[in-house]
Amino acid sequence: MSSTTAPSGLARARRGLAPGGPGGGSRNRTDGLNRKSKLSGQTRRTFFWLLLPSIVLLVLINGYPLIYAGVQATHDGSLIDTGNFVGVDNFATVLSSPAFWKAAQFTLWFTIVGVFGSWLVGLGLALLLRTKIPAGGTFKVLLLLPWVVPIVVSSTAWNWLVATPDSLIPSIFRNLGLGTPLFLADPHLAAVMVMVFKVWVSFPFMMMMISAALASVDTTVYEAASMDGASKWQQFTQITLPMIARSTYISWILMTIFCVNDFPTIYLLTGGGPVDATTSLVVLAYRSVFQDFQTGPGVAIAFLMTLTLVVVSVFLYRQIRKSSVE
Amino acid sequence: MNVKSEASRNFSRRGFLGLTAAAAAVPLLAACGGGSSSSSSAGGAIKFWDMPWGTPAYNDAAKKLAESYVPTGSNGKASYQIIQWNNFYQTFSSAIASKTGPAVSTGGGFQAFQFEQQGQIAYADKVIDALKKNGQFDDFLPGVLEPFKTDKGYVAVPWQLDMRPLWYRKSLFDQAGVAVPTDWPSLLEAGKKLKSIGAVGFATGSGAGNNIGNHLMIMMMINNGGGVFTKDGQLDVMNDRNVEAIEFLLELVSNGVIDPAAVSYTTDNLDAQWKNKKAAFGMYVLGVPQRVGDTSGDLLVASPMAGPHGDKAALVFPNNIMMYKNTPSQESSEAFLTYYMGQLKSLWQQKLMNGLPVFKSITEIPEFAGDPNNVKIVKEYQPIAKTFAAQGTSLNANLAVLDGGQALNQFSQTILTGKTDAKSALQAFKTGLESVIKK
Repeated sequence: MSSTTAPSGLARARRGLAPGGPGGGSRNRTDGLNRKSKLSGQTRRTFFWLLLPSIVLLVLINGYPLIYAGVQATHDGSLIDTGNFVGVDNFATVLSSPAFWKAAQFTLWFTIVGVFGSWLVGLGLALLLRTKIPAGGTFKVLLLLPWVVPIVVSSTAWNWLVATPDSLIPSIFRNLGLGTPLFLADPHLAAVMVMVFKVWVSFPFMMMMISAALASVDTTVYEAASMDGASKWQQFTQITLPMIARSTYISWILMTIFCVNDFPTIYLLTGGGPVDATTSLVVLAYRSVFQDFQTGPGVAIAFLMTLTLVVVSVFLYRQIRKSSVE
Repeated sequence: MNVKSEASRNFSRRGFLGLTAAAAAVPLLAACGGGSSSSSSAGGAIKFWDMPWGTPAYNDAAKKLAESYVPTGSNGKASYQIIQWNNFYQTFSSAIASKTGPAVSTGGGFQAFQFEQQGQIAYADKVIDALKKNGQFDDFLPGVLEPFKTDKGYVAVPWQLDMRPLWYRKSLFDQAGVAVPTDWPSLLEAGKKLKSIGAVGFATGSGAGNNIGNHLMIMMMINNGGGVFTKDGQLDVMNDRNVEAIEFLLELVSNGVIDPAAVSYTTDNLDAQWKNKKAAFGMYVLGVPQRVGDTSGDLLVASPMAGPHGDKAALVFPNNIMMYKNTPSQESSEAFLTYYMGQLKSLWQQKLMNGLPVFKSITEIPEFAGDPNNVKIVKEYQPIAKTFAAQGTSLNANLAVLDGGQALNQFSQTILTGKTDAKSALQAFKTGLESVIKK
């Protein structure tokens, strides 16, 4: 048994045994800077001309719709008529609408449950798959199915499982003497059901991300930790989680974007109902534009979503940077 | 020293932010993106866009009709293209905006009025004149043309009727020992007895993509002599007849006559209820026996119910063919549409249509009249049928917002959950409509 405490030993093990490190990293960065400074004017011009087609393509593909969306958000038109300029009226209308804030609240919960629910399930399964279990390969393929199966198919399957009092899951509840829950008809249960569905659809992505991160962890770190007397829990919290932290943060950011932008999961299962109980911001934007033909407010909602996502993503990215420095 | 892989070290801030911004911009791009547009398939030809109104065999037959068109004089031929219902309004809108849209099309029930509002529709008065000359005008079922007549002219020409009749499953009524409802009180009583045998007394649904619940709300209003609009087209949501109708629906919900889970039922769920002998009575679309695969004769059309004041009315969506100003030749569009109206009979002869025909002569052909449900709908429902414009008669662009919009959907879901009172729900419905309807 080592004379040092287990946690400090673990930290030392992480620092000492992991591949790479700041020395190498800074050396690489320095090399990169040197290479950059050595670029001749001719090379830079060549790079510029080589990149130009891609830049033009990106501007055409992304820039034009963004600018057009900006025009739509500041006008009171429809899909084929630009309408009159109304300044920020559409944003004011949206921000003063209870429906917007209700949708924002649902989006927030949907995202929190979607991100952390799928992460927890994905983490658990990734750790399980790391151990030697019988038919592990088959198990892995089966676990990927929710991610692989088209959402139209899986939403239909879930609908048949829970929609009517005679569906399978309500029947099981009834046979267990737990009543007949109306999973999609009760506003609260419908919200829960949509979130559970999102976790079910998303956990394979998390599982893949975490599995990839775990695969890069050097097993000798664990051996060193064991020699230092670390328990399994200590190894998990002091080695595994920190070692996959960067991947975790990135997967959280990506899943946040997936959840906030998720239209089909919600729309196919509940259509945003009952009584708007599962209407997220993206569903609200869709309904405004394509059902109420209110293009301005709909695009304004989309703008606000984009802005929020960028802010959240930048914040989380800074967390990644911080974790890197630490 | 740090535990980081080479790959993750190379993950630059700028690259990451670029990726993030691109992903985050998805809703913006989705919100402002245009639908697909189609280029002309034949120079000078009349582009006819048609929707999937039935099985793929329908579109094959319709295409054959369009392409068999032999123009006279300098008129152009016709080309045919199917437009899917998914995001169809966006497809039409973007194509029309880019001048690549059709010259003639079928489409959504109120689409012609939406595009008329945008100044894109060519009025069909000359087609109506042509139909008067060839005798087809007098063949229209009563009241079919009227909704399309505006001060400026006929916005479109009706070609089929999407009725919302009442259906019942005879065996369930026999099992419950109760007669098929003929009015609202008998519906309530029958519903209670049907519930006691585990059947649904008034089947409906308002889940994802299912408009039947929305249509039921309006049908019950107009069945009671009410409606969302006045005769001159002004919003009139809070009238007494509407309140009475919604109070009755809430009574049906509270008594379990309407399935407590109906608020979440998709059309698939509703089909399953009819197929699995769970639904005993309810308003649904045309051709339910064929739709759910039970043509044993157990699924039948009921007679329209009378409201508490003796009113009887049914809900209908007159589907129509419209012409657009963007055409190689207006004369060619008119000539083609006149021709196409004359060919409609063959679609019913081939049993390809789900909708009712607009011409009396087609309702009499054996292929149509051989189905007693069809005969009953034409005889009992068509004469009392009203549109979403009730109590008015002329259709308009605002009805598209009513039909597919959030206000009606939220209203019907609120009623079907039963956690409201009629006046509060109608007031919220009215407020919702006022916020989206153009004055």
